Amino acid sequence: MKWMLFGPETYIFLVAFFFLILSMWRGPHSEKDHVLALALSGLGVVISLACLGAEGLLFAGAYRLDLFSQVFKVALSFGLFLIVCLCANVEEIKRRYRLEFYFFLFVCTLAMMLLVSAQHLLTILLALELSSYSLYILVTLRRDEDMGLEAGIKYFLTGIFASSIMIFGMALLYGATGAVYLQDLAQVLPEVMGTPAAVIGLLLTFGGFFFKLAVYPFHFWVADTYQGAPDQVTAYIATASKVAVIAVVIKLIAAVDQNSTYLIHVLAVLSIASMTLGNLAAMVQKDMKRLLAYSTIAHSGYVLIGILSGGTAGYASAVFYALALLVMKFTVFLVVVVLSPRGKNLEREELAGLHGRSPLLALALMVSIFSLAGIPPTIGFMGKFYVFMGAMDKGLFVLVLIAMINVVVSLYYYLLIIKAAYLGHSWETPPAVHLPQPMRWLTGALIATMMVAGFYPTPLIRLSEAVARSLM
Amino acid sequence: MIVPFGHVLMLAGMLFLLGVFCTLTRRNLVMIILGVEVMLNAAAIAFVGAALHWQSLEGQAFVLFIMAIAATEVSVGLALIVYAYRRSGSFDPSSCNLLR
Repeated sequence: MKWMLFGPETYIFLVAFFFLILSMWRGPHSEKDHVLALALSGLGVVISLACLGAEGLLFAGAYRLDLFSQVFKVALSFGLFLIVCLCANVEEIKRRYRLEFYFFLFVCTLAMMLLVSAQHLLTILLALELSSYSLYILVTLRRDEDMGLEAGIKYFLTGIFASSIMIFGMALLYGATGAVYLQDLAQVLPEVMGTPAAVIGLLLTFGGFFFKLAVYPFHFWVADTYQGAPDQVTAYIATASKVAVIAVVIKLIAAVDQNSTYLIHVLAVLSIASMTLGNLAAMVQKDMKRLLAYSTIAHSGYVLIGILSGGTAGYASAVFYALALLVMKFTVFLVVVVLSPRGKNLEREELAGLHGRSPLLALALMVSIFSLAGIPPTIGFMGKFYVFMGAMDKGLFVLVLIAMINVVVSLYYYLLIIKAAYLGHSWETPPAVHLPQPMRWLTGALIATMMVAGFYPTPLIRLSEAVARSLM
Repeated sequence: MIVPFGHVLMLAGMLFLLGVFCTLTRRNLVMIILGVEVMLNAAAIAFVGAALHWQSLEGQAFVLFIMAIAATEVSVGLALIVYAYRRSGSFDPSSCNLLR
C-alpha cells in the first residue's frame, strides 16, 4: 500500500477541501468552525506521528519519504495545530472569510509538507508557489483593509519577483547540468561548478529560498508583512513557514554542497549581514510584531551558520534550531495575540504592567524571550550553543565571534521587552487578562517544554542527529 | 539544433534583464506584474532551449507548469490590484506607505 506513505498529505488535503466545500455550503459559525478546525488539525498531528516511520520513493522518485521529511511533517502539522489554537477569536478577519481562512491555512500546510519531501526541482517549485500564494491571500485578509492590503501588496510583489528570479536560476541550472533530481544535481554539479551558468543559476535559485527565509538581501518584505498581516497569520509565517523553509534549504545545501568553499563563503556573508542588520534594526522598533520580524531576520542568520557548517553535526544543529524556533516564536506570538488591542497592533509599551495583569503570560513572555536571546537554561540557549559548537568544529572562529557579538547586541532589545512587562507601569491600569482554561494549559506546557529541553536536550539532539543522518 | 545553446541563453538573459528593468522602474502595479511575466517567459525560453540541448522532456514539462504559475500569479495579482484600486483609486504602489 504505497498510498499509506502519503497519509499526512492526503489527510490535510481532504481537510482543506472539506473547508472549501463548507465555505460554499453554509455561512461561517465562528465557535463551531474553530472547534472543528482544532479537532481536524489535532487529528493531523496524530496521523503525521503515525507515519513517522514511513520510508520510500513516490511519483518516479520525485517525492522522497525518510526520517527527515517525516519529522518535519510532524513539526508542521504541530505548528498548524498550535496556530489553530490561537484562532478562537480571529477579530482581525471578517466573519464571512473565516472558513476560507482555515482553508488557506490547511492548503499552505499541505504545500509545506510537499516541500519538505520534494526531490525534483519542479516539485519543489510548485510546492513553494502553492504555499506562497496561500500566504499572499491570508496576509491580505486583515479587517483593517488599508493595512492588510498594503502588507499583501508588498509581500506579493517582492514574492513574485523573488520566485521568478528563482525560476530563471533553475532554468540556468538545468541548462548547465541537465539534471532535475536533487541527487543527480549533486553528482553533476561539482564538474560544472566552474562555469558561469551553473554558479549564477545556483545563486539565483537560492535567492528564492532566501526570500522565504528572510535572509539579508531578500528581507524587505518581512517587517511590513509581519506588521500588516493578521496576528495569527504573522505567527504562522514566523513559525511553521520558517520551519519548512529551513528544512528545504538544509536539503538543498546538503545536496549541492559537495565541499564547495565558494557557496560557503556566500552563505557566511549573507549570514553575517542578516544577523547584524536584523539585530540593529530591531533595536529601534516600537511595534511588537515589527520587532519580532527583525528578530526573525537575525535568527535566519544564526540558522545559516548551522547550515553552512555542513556535515551531520551542522545540519543536526540547524534542525534543532528550527524545532526550537517553532516553540519559542510561537510562545511569544501567543502572548502578542492574547494581548493585542482590538484591530490594532501591540506596542512594546503596552506590555507595561503585564506582570500584574497576568503572571502566567508574563512568565511565558520572559521564558520565550530569554530563549530567543539565548540565555540558559532554555531551549534557545541549547540551540545556539549547538550551532556555534558545530561551526567551531569546522574552524569558523571569526563567524562564531561575530555571531556572539550579535547575540550580545540582541540582548538589548529583548531585555527591553522584559523590562516593559515586569517593571513598566502604565498610568491607567488595564483590566486583568482573562485566559480560558485550555489556553492556560497550553501556555504552561510551552513554558515547560522550553525549560525541560533547556535542561535536558539529549533526546532532541539525538533526534536531530538521526534526522541529519537520514539526509546524507 | 540549428541555433547554438549559448545564443538561446543569451536571448533568455536579455529578456530576463528587460523584465527586471520593467519591474524595478515602473510605477504602476499592472506594469510591475507584466515585468514579472516577462521574467517568467525568459525562464521558459531558457528551459525549452535546455530541453533541446539535453534531449530530455523535463524542460518542456517545466514550461507547462511555468505557464500555470504565471496564470495563477496574474489572477491573484489582478484581484489584489482591483482591490487596491477600489480602496485608493490609483495604481501607484507608492501610495502604500502606511506601514513603517
